[in-house]
Amino acid sequence: MVSRLFVALLLLCLAAESCYGGVLFSSLPRTLEITASPQQGKVLRAGEDRITVSWGFNQSVQASDESYKRVKVSLCYAPVSQVDRGWRKTVDNLSKDKTCQFTIVERAYDASVRNHIYEWMIEKDVPEATYFVRVYAYNSAGEEVAFGQTTDVKKKSGLFEIRGISGRHLSLEIASICFSAFSVASLFGFFLIEKRKAKGFSKN
Amino acid sequence: MDVESAAVESQAPKFALPVDSEHKATEFRLFSVAAPHMRAFHLSWISFFCCFVSSFAAPPLLPIIRDNLNLTATDIGNAGIASVTGAVFARLAMGTACDLFGPRLASASLILLTAPAVYFTSIASSSISFLLVRFFTGFSLATFVSTQFWMSSMFSAPVVGTANGVSGGWGNLGGGATQLIMPLVFALIVNIGAVEFTAWRIAFFIPALFQMLSAFAVLTLGQDLPDGNFKNLQKSGDKEKDKFSKVFYHGITNYRGWILALTYGYCFGVELTIDNIIAEYFYDRFNLKLHTAGIIAASSGLANLFARPGGGIISDAVAKRFGMRGRLWALWVVQTLGGLFCILLGRVDSLSASIVVLIVFSVFVQTACGLTFGVVPFVSRRSLGVISGMTGGGGNVGAVLTQLIFFKGSKYSKETGITLMGIMIICCTLPIMLIYFPQWGGMFCGPSQNISSEEDYYLSEWNSQEREKGLHQGSLKFAENCRAERGKVKGLNSDEAQSTNI
Repeated sequence: MVSRLFVALLLLCLAAESCYGGVLFSSLPRTLEITASPQQGKVLRAGEDRITVSWGFNQSVQASDESYKRVKVSLCYAPVSQVDRGWRKTVDNLSKDKTCQFTIVERAYDASVRNHIYEWMIEKDVPEATYFVRVYAYNSAGEEVAFGQTTDVKKKSGLFEIRGISGRHLSLEIASICFSAFSVASLFGFFLIEKRKAKGFSKN
Repeated sequence: MDVESAAVESQAPKFALPVDSEHKATEFRLFSVAAPHMRAFHLSWISFFCCFVSSFAAPPLLPIIRDNLNLTATDIGNAGIASVTGAVFARLAMGTACDLFGPRLASASLILLTAPAVYFTSIASSSISFLLVRFFTGFSLATFVSTQFWMSSMFSAPVVGTANGVSGGWGNLGGGATQLIMPLVFALIVNIGAVEFTAWRIAFFIPALFQMLSAFAVLTLGQDLPDGNFKNLQKSGDKEKDKFSKVFYHGITNYRGWILALTYGYCFGVELTIDNIIAEYFYDRFNLKLHTAGIIAASSGLANLFARPGGGIISDAVAKRFGMRGRLWALWVVQTLGGLFCILLGRVDSLSASIVVLIVFSVFVQTACGLTFGVVPFVSRRSLGVISGMTGGGGNVGAVLTQLIFFKGSKYSKETGITLMGIMIICCTLPIMLIYFPQWGGMFCGPSQNISSEEDYYLSEWNSQEREKGLHQGSLKFAENCRAERGKVKGLNSDEAQSTNI
């Protein structure tokens, strides 16, 4: 009885997982237009520079934006920054995809506005890498239904670099050096004390 | 015989614990801090714990560090390998240093000289500087050897396995504790208001400070031997200064040291590898938060609280009944089982199953570590430090090899790497079958037919000139004290066996 219950629970969990399996990126239509202020190859600094993004529904496409309820604009890694870094991998299943890890803005979708504009100060925790910008539209169930991006299908154009902050400060460097010097000096101090004690011992 | 012992007793200082003829404690009282035995125990495990915390402080914060320093998977793998490479030779050097200068000075020197590497981690700015700081910080893991040497100098044969196991285990605990401590310290600093890329740097001052303070404690409160410190004993003539070349020679020519080095590489080396890769493995594979991945990774290292000491206790318990042969069998069985659970770990797919298998696997592997150091104190008396250093160094070689073959770059997925590591554990544990002590036997053979005694074995390390000078007295006393490694002789118990010696 208990084992049957356990198996049923297990199956339920597995089923639930496949329900939330995630939308495939390749199934999404590119119906949103988006541009970002940095030109191809531009280098920006985290914590200092801003990115202005403007996005809107592409009227010329044969599709309807009725199901779009929320929009999220994200900063995404370009392929060159994903090489040998499994934690940034692009996977078709969007629930497992790790390409876009930084949210620029997220808000409700407003069909009446043609062109949304947003200015974003690049946050200090954005690492040094090459990026592009992508926007996803979500339906009321929270699933992705459409996208747009500032680069082409092969992700070669419209890429820009962001230089991250180093995180180092002068005070940290001084503290490191001082403590290290103290550590070594104290060792030699102890040696001297030991030697003096031993000399005294053997004289007795 | 009675007159002699009475004379010895009237000269000998009073000790808080019962002692044998070498003044080594015959009992292990965990909650005592009495000098010199239990105090040495607490000083050694705490300082070793701090070194472990420092050496593995980076892995739980890697998701932040890899973005700050723009590291690739290869860079991370290389740094992980570097972190355990330094200690390979440092452990051997430490073993020799202990034989020559005493564990107190040897360990404190190493700890204070490697503390700068931990401080400098705060200002690392590239993959190369990151690799260098991890490399030099890793040298501090050689304090393991001084810990084991110190325990073997302070505790007698019936309890040396336990003392070695508890001190080694509670030190290794640092590798688990750091997976909890560092994310916590990091979160605290971020809360205070620091940016993430600065917060991790500040966080490194904590392990560095603790490491430094523990060295000060060892220097001011510790003592090399029950009778005093090396330097004082050497000056007063109570301890002969031994020659480096002889100590080294007798250590490296003992084949048992090499076998134990290999097998230790596949229990302790595996433990180190897991310390380096497991947090990232859980973070990436199961999409966990940094904090959660750290807790799971910690649970593996935290098993050291009881697993490794358990290994030492099991070794001593088995030896009471079966002697050295029992110690060897226990080691082989437990380590092989560890390999089997490792294979399983790489195969399970769900988070909860992975956690359970990880903990079981860690317990077996760490128990095997404790069992190994139940055998090491008996391999050599003159070159105890060198043998401890070889075994300890071998542990790190195992970690280097395993990370190089299975966990560098993106060749094998981490799951596959873990399974293959399990297979390698089983294969590299087989050589235990080749260890043979003429006076006690091996796994499959009994003691030698020509009457071979403990004295024959340990005195073979001293030539006739050295014996004339009386340099072998320590080994003689030791041989007498480890008579119990014969196990319960048929018809005689170990007390009677002791009185039938020459």
